[in-house]
Amino acid sequence: MGVITEEARRWAERDYPDYAFTVGERDIQKYAHAIGETDPMHFERAAAVEAGYADVVAPPLFPYVIRMHAAHLVGRDDLEPDGSATADVPPLDTTRAMAGETTIDLEQPVVAGDVVTVTKRIVDMYEKEGRSGALVFVIMEFTFTNQRGDLVARERFTRIYR
Amino acid sequence: MIPRAGTEIPTITRAPDAIDLFMFSGASWLIHRIHYDLPFTTEHDGHPGLLVHGPLQGTYMVQTVQRWLGRAARLVSITYRHLAPAYLGDSLECGGSVAAVDGDRVTCELWIHKLDGTVATSGTALFEVAP
Repeated sequence: MGVITEEARRWAERDYPDYAFTVGERDIQKYAHAIGETDPMHFERAAAVEAGYADVVAPPLFPYVIRMHAAHLVGRDDLEPDGSATADVPPLDTTRAMAGETTIDLEQPVVAGDVVTVTKRIVDMYEKEGRSGALVFVIMEFTFTNQRGDLVARERFTRIYR
Repeated sequence: MIPRAGTEIPTITRAPDAIDLFMFSGASWLIHRIHYDLPFTTEHDGHPGLLVHGPLQGTYMVQTVQRWLGRAARLVSITYRHLAPAYLGDSLECGGSVAAVDGDRVTCELWIHKLDGTVATSGTALFEVAP
């Protein structure tokens, strides 16, 4: 036990810059195809308007795409050997990462043309002894807000390092 | 139509292939190698195969309910946790049941099973359902 160093604690407490993502129709279409959606409201403006949205509407868990771009849309030199963004990886001896639990609360739909700003902070970091050694849990909170200042979504996500 | 508590949700089966994994990584700009680089994934991470993204499984859970209730069901919140890795080639059965109904708010317990019965992911989602 005791794999979380002081350095890692300081890393967790630092501020992350906000990231503004202008949501294009194509961003929504790509994601919708990737998850196997076929409802035309995710692809065509007319169908989205008919369904009551201002423009092509994203499937509900689309905010994930925004926070992934915020972390990973960096230069090639800023990626780790496993493809993770260097800035996103705690300074620990762990080398492997996996998704843990997530909770997402949705407030407003995302439509093409929205500018969604995501803010990130690390709210907790703790370790547990697993079957194959120490597991480090990093808990992050993301807040997504649109160009009108409306809360779009909140997510609390745990990534596990081993 | 608002479903009753206790109702079983019809299952859907998803067997994401290499193209599905590629599309999800690409659309979300997720560069983690465990979703596309098999030698790295087996040698470095010790997995027997490429991993199906956790957030892709999350979308399967939402779709399970939306295939059943249609556009009338709007996702309000979802929590899910990954209990066992799902690999490329796994057939994923997605199902669940209605745990509670409060007016137009429907809480669903959801799960994703692998063929051998292992639970890959389990979760709870709250939907607002238009009557």
